[in-house]
Amino acid sequence: MDNPLQTLPLFQLGPVPIMPAVVVTWAIMLVIVGLAILLTHRLSVVPGPVQAAAELLVTAVDAQIRDVTGAEPAPYRAFVGTLFLFILVANWSSLIPGITPPTATLETPAALAALVFVSIIWFGVKGAGVGGFLRGFALPNPAMIPLNILESFTRIFSMFVRLFGNVMSGAFVIAIVGSLAALLVPIPLMVLDLLTGAVQAYIFAILAMVFISSAVKKGAPENKET
Amino acid sequence: MSFDYWTLGFQAVNVLVLIWLLHRFFWKPVSGMIAQRQTNAASLLLEAEATRAKAEAALAKVAATRDGLASEREAMLAAAQAEAKATRATLLEETRAEVDTLNDAAKAARLRAAKTLKETAVEDAQGLAVTIASQLAARLTGEAVEAAFLGWLEQGIADLSADERDALGKGSSLDLVCATDPDEAAQERIKSVVAKALGAEPELRFRTDPSLIAGFEVHSPHFSLRNSWSADLARLSQALADSRKDLPPPDETQTDAA
Repeated sequence: MDNPLQTLPLFQLGPVPIMPAVVVTWAIMLVIVGLAILLTHRLSVVPGPVQAAAELLVTAVDAQIRDVTGAEPAPYRAFVGTLFLFILVANWSSLIPGITPPTATLETPAALAALVFVSIIWFGVKGAGVGGFLRGFALPNPAMIPLNILESFTRIFSMFVRLFGNVMSGAFVIAIVGSLAALLVPIPLMVLDLLTGAVQAYIFAILAMVFISSAVKKGAPENKET
Repeated sequence: MSFDYWTLGFQAVNVLVLIWLLHRFFWKPVSGMIAQRQTNAASLLLEAEATRAKAEAALAKVAATRDGLASEREAMLAAAQAEAKATRATLLEETRAEVDTLNDAAKAARLRAAKTLKETAVEDAQGLAVTIASQLAARLTGEAVEAAFLGWLEQGIADLSADERDALGKGSSLDLVCATDPDEAAQERIKSVVAKALGAEPELRFRTDPSLIAGFEVHSPHFSLRNSWSADLARLSQALADSRKDLPPPDETQTDAA
């Protein structure tokens, strides 16, 4: 049995190793973008079933953003929604035999967490300005600045570890069970992995939105006097 | 466990590119379509609201027109009722006048009929009275009656003017009409009375006329001295006829009651 924590590059582009997770991510990107182009190519005011489903997804993402932030979802929709879609598809790619989900490797969740970290800074500065964003670290009082800075890293790290751990463990368990009884036995675990993958995608996207919203709200003008 | 930073970078870039691509090809178009549908729905709602307001205005206009029609109808009905009332009053007035005229005419006809009936009754009563008197007078015969009539004859001749007596006395002949055939003695008595009254002895031709009932009459071509029950009854009848002219008109109330 291969060690799921140990991945080897598929090929080398000069000094750059191309890992399977990157190739699978490219495939996922192709599928998602291809479906998006195919879908939005024939948008109409009177939607068909597929367009209705797509609009339902957009509406659900907007509703979640609105519930979490209380703000208009348009600025956050692409980032949060894409995170959710990509993580969901990546997690569910484990159903394809021979495919290791990109999120089951360290690098992909780390990259996603890094993007969330950057987006927190981006949206925080965009919403409250640099001063406002930095003042958010001094809440509720300046003594909390070190802890708030530490928290901004640890919560990102927890996101990364949570996603990686859940997906990797699922893939690991399926691989172990599959090696012991390859026929039919892994199916319940795969179904559970589907649920875990959806829940983890949802949690990651919601947490990202919560952190972004927190950064924006902390730097908002009404919190300056606090 | 190993960590490849190239892969970290690749995945970060991949996700960024995916975010951009999906923003370009999925989130923006789909959300734009939703917004467009919401805008269309809002505009449709606005149009529906405007249409409803227009319909309500039209409905209010129709209601106002209907109210106007109702009031106009009421006014027309009131005018028609007033006209009908006036026409009815006029017709009643005309009818009442016509009825009064008819009543007057009927009353006049009744009065005329009553008068005629009364006159007829009086005439019949008078005729009956004359008839009764003539029948009673017809039973009064005899020398006393003859003597009385002779006396009245003599008095009648005496009451004539002298010229009339001369004309009678100098006439060729006189007709002396009796109710019954006089015998010789009676003729002589009559002649003597006439001669005495006239102062002359004219020729007397005796005739008999039972219609005289009783009495003696003298007739010449130009003169008549009527002295008989028949003449008396004729005079009485004439007097009664004359008196009918002076009769009071029939009592209206009694006529109406009748």
